[in-house]
Parts: sequence; C-alpha cells; structure tokens
Amino acid sequence: MTLLQVRQLRASHRQRPVLQGIDLNVDAGQVVAIVGPNGCGKSTLLRCLARLHRPDGGEIRLGGSPLWQLKPREVALRLALLPQALTAPEGITVAALVRYGRHPHQGWFRQWSPGDDAAVRDAMTMTDTLHLAGARIDELSGGQRQRCWLAMVLAQQTPLLLLDEPTSMLDLGHQVDVLECIRRLAAAGRSVVIVLHDLAAAARYADVLLVMREGRVIAQGAPRDVVTPALIRDVYGIEAAVLAAPGDGAPVVVPLGASAIAKQPAVPDTPAMLHAAQLEQEQR
Amino acid sequence: MSAQPQVLESGVLVLRWRACSWLLAWRPLCVTTLLAAGLLGAVVLALLVGSQWLSPAVIWQVVQGDASSSLLILEFRLPRVLVAVVAGMALALAGGLLQTLTGNRLASPELLGLTDGATCTMLIALVLSPEGSFGPWWVGPLGALLAMASLLVVSGGVGQRGQRMLIVGIGLACLLRAMAELALSQQSLQHASAIYAWTTGSLAGKGTATLLPLAAGLAVLLPLAMLCRRQLALLRLDVDVAATLGVPVRAVQWLTLLTAVSLAGLAVGLCGPLAFVALAAPIIAERWAGGAAMPLPACALLGGMLVVLADLLGRILLPNAELPAGVICNLLGGPFLLWVLLGKGSAGKRE
Repeated sequence: MTLLQVRQLRASHRQRPVLQGIDLNVDAGQVVAIVGPNGCGKSTLLRCLARLHRPDGGEIRLGGSPLWQLKPREVALRLALLPQALTAPEGITVAALVRYGRHPHQGWFRQWSPGDDAAVRDAMTMTDTLHLAGARIDELSGGQRQRCWLAMVLAQQTPLLLLDEPTSMLDLGHQVDVLECIRRLAAAGRSVVIVLHDLAAAARYADVLLVMREGRVIAQGAPRDVVTPALIRDVYGIEAAVLAAPGDGAPVVVPLGASAIAKQPAVPDTPAMLHAAQLEQEQR
Repeated sequence: MSAQPQVLESGVLVLRWRACSWLLAWRPLCVTTLLAAGLLGAVVLALLVGSQWLSPAVIWQVVQGDASSSLLILEFRLPRVLVAVVAGMALALAGGLLQTLTGNRLASPELLGLTDGATCTMLIALVLSPEGSFGPWWVGPLGALLAMASLLVVSGGVGQRGQRMLIVGIGLACLLRAMAELALSQQSLQHASAIYAWTTGSLAGKGTATLLPLAAGLAVLLPLAMLCRRQLALLRLDVDVAATLGVPVRAVQWLTLLTAVSLAGLAVGLCGPLAFVALAAPIIAERWAGGAAMPLPACALLGGMLVVLADLLGRILLPNAELPAGVICNLLGGPFLLWVLLGKGSAGKRE
C-alpha cells in the first residue's frame, strides 16, 4: 500500500530552484533513505514532505489526500518530523519532552487519556529511554538526548516518520541503536523517510535509496542495485570501491585515496560483479 | 475511565472524568496560590501605609461599611493600588509572552522601544494641545502600538525566533528616545517637567480614569494569553517540531505578539515606564514554578505584587516627598539585570 506519493515535485528557496522533478513512492513499512552531497536538496525535500516548505509545483499525496489540503492537525496525526540538531528548553524532563509528542491527540478537555500513557510508554520502551523518564534533558549525553527526541516523535504515533540526520551527532554504537530502532518500527508497519549523510548506514538499513544531486534524483532503488563506483564518482566526485558487507551483502563504500587508485589496477564496476568476485574468494 | 487519580512524574496529576481528562501540575499551582496570597497581602499593606498609617482593623471596618476611614481608603488609596496591580500584571504578562516567543530572557517592552514610542506620542500630544495638557488616555498605548508596527515593518515580521526583531527594537528604541529628547529640549520648562514627570513612571494621582481602560484591556487580553500558552510551550521546543505537531505557528506568533504589545502598551502608555517588572516577573516566576511552559498566572500575580510594593516603597522611603514607582523599579532593575546576565545558567544566552 502506498502511503506517500510524490509526483514531479519542484521547489525553490529564495527564487533559486532547489528541487526539480522529484518522484517518490513510500509504501507502508518501508524505510527510504535520502542521500547525496551537501546542498543537494535533501533537507528541502524532507521539509516539503513535512509540509514546512511550500513547493512550486508537482503533487504530494499523503494517504491519498493532497498534503496541502489537510489541516495542520490532520497532518500531525499522519506524519512526524525529527529535525536536525535540536536543543530542548532548560530544565525540562525526559518524560515531559516525550509527552509533547501527544499534542495532536489532545485538546482542552482531553489533556491526558490512557492512550497517551500507552503511547508514551511504548515510545520510551522502543528507544530504551524509560529509565531516563525523570532525568533532565540537559543532563544527558548526546546519544541519550537524541533517543529522547526520537521517543517524542514516536509518541506521536503517526504512520509516517520523517527523520533528518538522526545519527549525525552520535557515536557508532548509538548510531546502530537508532538505526536498529528504525528497522523495528518499519517491521511494525510504519514508514520512515530518513535523510542520512552516511552512505554505508543508508545502504545497510534502507529498503530504498534515493540518491540526489543538484536538486534531482539521479538513482532510486534497492541499495544493492543503486550503489556502484560509477554512482559514487558521479555524485561525490571521488573514486571508491564498493564491497559487499559480510553477512547480508549490503554494499559498503570504500573511498580510494590517490595512492590506492594507483595501486589498484581494476575496480569491479557493479555490485553484482563484486559479489561474484567475493563469493569466488570465499569458496576458495 | 479509571477512578483513582494517576500521578505522572514530576508532580503532575491527571484528573479524569468520563472521557475527559485534565493535567494539574502541583508546583505551579502552589506557587500561584502563594503569589495570590502575597499579592493580597501587598495590597492590604499598601492600603494601610502612607502619609497617614492605619491599623489593619480599619480595613475590616471599611469592609463592614464604616464610613470614617472609607474616604481615604476607597477614594484615594484603593484606585491607585489597583492601578499598580493591573499595570504590573499587564507588564509581567507582556514580558512573559515576549520572552517565551523570542526564546530570549532580555526581550522586554523597554528593549523593543514600546516605552519610547509611548513617550513620543505623549510628547506630541502635549505639544499640540493648546492648554498644555496630556491628551486622552489612549495616546500612550497608541504610541506603543505605532512603535511596534514600525518595528515589525523594519525587521520584516516576527522571524524564526524573533532575534532580528530584538536587535531592530534596540535600535528603534534609541532613535525614538533621541527624537523625544530633541523635542523635549525645545519645550518650555513647564512642558518639559510635565513630560519628565511622566517618564519617571509615577502612579501619583492615578485613579479610576486610568484603572478602567487598563482593567478592561487585561480582561480581554489575559484569556488570549492563556489561549496561546500550550502552543507557546511547543514553539519553545522548536518551530519545525511545533508545526509538525499541528501548531499553526504563524497565527500563534502573531496572536502572542499582538497580545503582548497591547498589554505592555496599555500599561506603559497609562502609567509611564515601569522598567524591570516585565523582565523580572517572568524569570522569577519561572524559576519558582519550574516546568517547561511559562507559568503565566504566577507571572502576572508576581508582576502585580512587584509594582504595588515599588509604589509603596516610593511613598514611604522619603519623609516629605514621593519617589515614583518607575524610579524604584529602575533602582532594583539594574542589579537584577546584572544577576540575570551573569548568574547561574546565564539567562542572556538563547535557550
């Protein structure tokens, strides 16, 4: 089932075109990662999807309805956004922060329902923040803080989650924690669109990779089909080898310095070739 | 529909009835109750203290309808004390709203040039009037609104977090002050001393004529301020997060700004500049009440209390003369500002 449909999206920032002809489908339970070099329009695309940036043209449909015809509250019940680099007001506790995620489900006469309780507990369990409930946000480490913000977004209980670089400030262990958590959400039927800097993480955890350059989508599909040395050269302007990760065979990008390029006679050009080469090695 | 009360962490109580539910936070509730009691105490004290000191029993006599002291209390002291209460509440609320909206503790009506706008129009009205008197009550508030309007035009709207608005406001305030002083220097001594008396923020002689517009304004604007409260707490997290949580960001920003400006404009325009209240009341109230949302009721009560006490101090400090409440506020405001800027968790920084 398609949850989010984007057709021929165009957007600009201060009269400068930023996005051109973007097409994207997100199905229920799918993780879509948007990758690309700095300034390629990833964040603007995410802001368009979150209804924070009004596009110049094209169409975005959320659950079948045009995004801009929905009321703010209806949108808040269908999608949640985790922006980059957030700072919480001083003195606020983790539980209070996560509770804010319930805002669209509340009103003057419905300030805290049993459903709110359950949603907050689920979100905090999922992000492993339950034991931090009474702690103040400003006393936590960066990784813990990021998980708390993620819990707030999860508590909103929307079918679609939009995450802008949720792992950028985390060490490797916490990165993996957050990404594993995202996989579990997808397994539970939620859709996730995530902007990632880290191509290796994106290739490993996403079902669909959307590669952007200069405001256009230049490749879209399963990571294994999309990530090739030719693509890396095209997008980032560097030479790189693409290896298959042990275990699941997800493509791993290894940038080659000038010396490495000189030493290496031939770099296998497609993941399929590479995969074959590796299988051969393993059999030997 | 659980019957037993549920306690969320950090002393937040959930009240349930049928499908309805309300949250009740203990600490802000206690602080608000204490401040209400404090305000009442300050009002009673202000009624009794002055050139003629009365005993507390007199209040009881007046309440019972004894006429011997009621003229002094009801006709002279009560209106003035009530003006102080309402002006203080309006200023504190305005400060609380502006501080929350901009995420900057230094955002106050003085800083944004509202006070200087009011001074300017008061001065113009004084110069234009043939008999050399102040204009009608709305001249001051109008000046504050005009100053805000020009501020918004120059800074190009509220902006993401109002930082630009603050900086433009500081510049605008300087410009308006210079204009007022230029005009003042060309006036006769009589005009100049009248306007100077106004700029010291004195409540002397303020009575029902000042109280009515001020109280009516507060009655309309206080509910508006409370309406924005929940949304403002979300805006404080992050503008984008608030928007995706369903907060109509622009509408809330404008409503908050207009409410704050009207409150501050009314208070400053009618009573003259009472510095420090709009800055201090929200900071102190928030520190006492804790929590993430600005405790607006506590903030308003504290503001009222501060102005009543400032006015009271002004009346009794010197044996034969009165110090204007605005001067007392300024005396307290300087050290307080330093404490805010240099103190623990220095509040001058952006949150």
